[in-house]
Amino acid sequence: MTDPTSATPEGGSVIHDLGYRPYTGPRLGPAAIARALVITGFRNAFGLGRSGKSKVLPFILLALNLMPAVIVGGVMVFVGLDALPIGYAQYASTTQVLLGIFVASQAPVLFSRDLRHGTISLYLARPLPSSTYAIARWASLLGATLVFLLLPILVLYAVALLGELDVSDQTSDAAVAVGLALLLALSLTGLAGLIASWSTRRGFAVVATIALLLIGNGIVTAIQGISQQEGHARVGEVAGLFSPYSLYRGLMSIWTDNKTPTPPTGMPMQLAYVVVFIALSVACLGGLVWRYRRVATA
Amino acid sequence: MNPTILRLSAQALLGRRRGVVLVLIPAVLLVLAVVVQALTDDAVGYDAVLHLGFTLALPLVALLAATAVLGPEVDDGSIVYLLSKPVSRHVIAASKYVVAWAATVVLGALPLLVAGLVLDTSDPRQAIAWGVGGAVAGTAYTALFLGLAAFTRHAVVIGLLFALLWEGVLGNVLDGIRWVAIGAWGREVATEISSKVPAQGIGLGYAVVAAALVTCGSLWFTGDRLRSFTLRGDE
Repeated sequence: MTDPTSATPEGGSVIHDLGYRPYTGPRLGPAAIARALVITGFRNAFGLGRSGKSKVLPFILLALNLMPAVIVGGVMVFVGLDALPIGYAQYASTTQVLLGIFVASQAPVLFSRDLRHGTISLYLARPLPSSTYAIARWASLLGATLVFLLLPILVLYAVALLGELDVSDQTSDAAVAVGLALLLALSLTGLAGLIASWSTRRGFAVVATIALLLIGNGIVTAIQGISQQEGHARVGEVAGLFSPYSLYRGLMSIWTDNKTPTPPTGMPMQLAYVVVFIALSVACLGGLVWRYRRVATA
Repeated sequence: MNPTILRLSAQALLGRRRGVVLVLIPAVLLVLAVVVQALTDDAVGYDAVLHLGFTLALPLVALLAATAVLGPEVDDGSIVYLLSKPVSRHVIAASKYVVAWAATVVLGALPLLVAGLVLDTSDPRQAIAWGVGGAVAGTAYTALFLGLAAFTRHAVVIGLLFALLWEGVLGNVLDGIRWVAIGAWGREVATEISSKVPAQGIGLGYAVVAAALVTCGSLWFTGDRLRSFTLRGDE
């Protein structure tokens, strides 16, 4: 068989030779397609490369999320505090509503639109396996969520360093917060992506994700509060395993000075928090890959 | 009121997966109430569960119901077939509102009453207070979210920001927000029925008038938006 990319071979016979020059440059493989997909997906999550209107929402959410950090910075500068009024890790817990809304509202941008408009078949017609497509989309959303989570930490860290707080203390605190943020971003991205890929109605996917994240968190918080009041802290610790936000809070109270109700006590429980956190993310990614494999073979 | 629009809206609301989530939210709340009641003495978890239902479940149900009766039709553009019928746009808005409102009261406010009865059978008055307060807040929430759905494609996100960020997070920090928070108006009405519901201190008259104003205003606005509706493509 002749190479379809080469020009009409010498002496070769074709039915129609219209004389057009075929593309003879280098052909990039699936890796390059996946990389391009991740980058455009990341830009699309913030509305870059899309219409002006779709930039409004993500950037308003990002600005709202950064506002407390900037205010804290301003207060630090003018009052001259000797410690940050809010911990690096505590920040994401405080702004969890905004974080949830951002992830929930931008996941359908990446996962629903191709499915709803049928453009997914154009992607899958390329030499790109459906699993790579799913992972590329997931990576885009993960990147966007990380930007959302890490920017405030960066602002706070910069303010702390400019305020001449202890560098090694601040660096270690910020590093712990970055690690926690990564865990949280992994699980939120997986959950939101999975829901958005199942329900292609945008508004519905957003509410379903928020309901899962915030009502789940609300229930866990209620149980933790009641169990602490009743003196059965263990119940609250187990309940904490059932929501990404409570997992985050649990690990935050082990690894930082910010205490929350019924933190996980004992090595097995603390380990369980980490394992469940990672297992949740892996399971969601697996679910996404499986979902797109079904789409590809349907 | 137009019976055909009522029927179609009810179908859109309860059809398929949307209906499942709409029913799941109150179901989870009731399961939580039963579990807490079974595992604790007295009414330990009363405030925690009712607070969760009132500040999270109720607005989410209202948002889901309000956007479900209007959102999908606007999204896929099929609303033009409805708008081209010789039916007043305000009648369309009112019909859709009635369906969403009924869903909010049954699936958002009624579960509050039931959860209250489950958690503390000795004090039905407090449960009724939460139920009525929820119905008042739900009435205003549904109208507001329906207005948003007619106004913008991002109705869901803006509605969430209003209910969770403005009323929830900021409302906890800034006390003055209770004057412009629908949830606080509902609580004020509930306080009037049972003094065990924490008072908001904004006065029953203000709460009722504000809720009525928001409801009527949003409803008129929805009809007005539908009257001058322009279709936009997907962004």
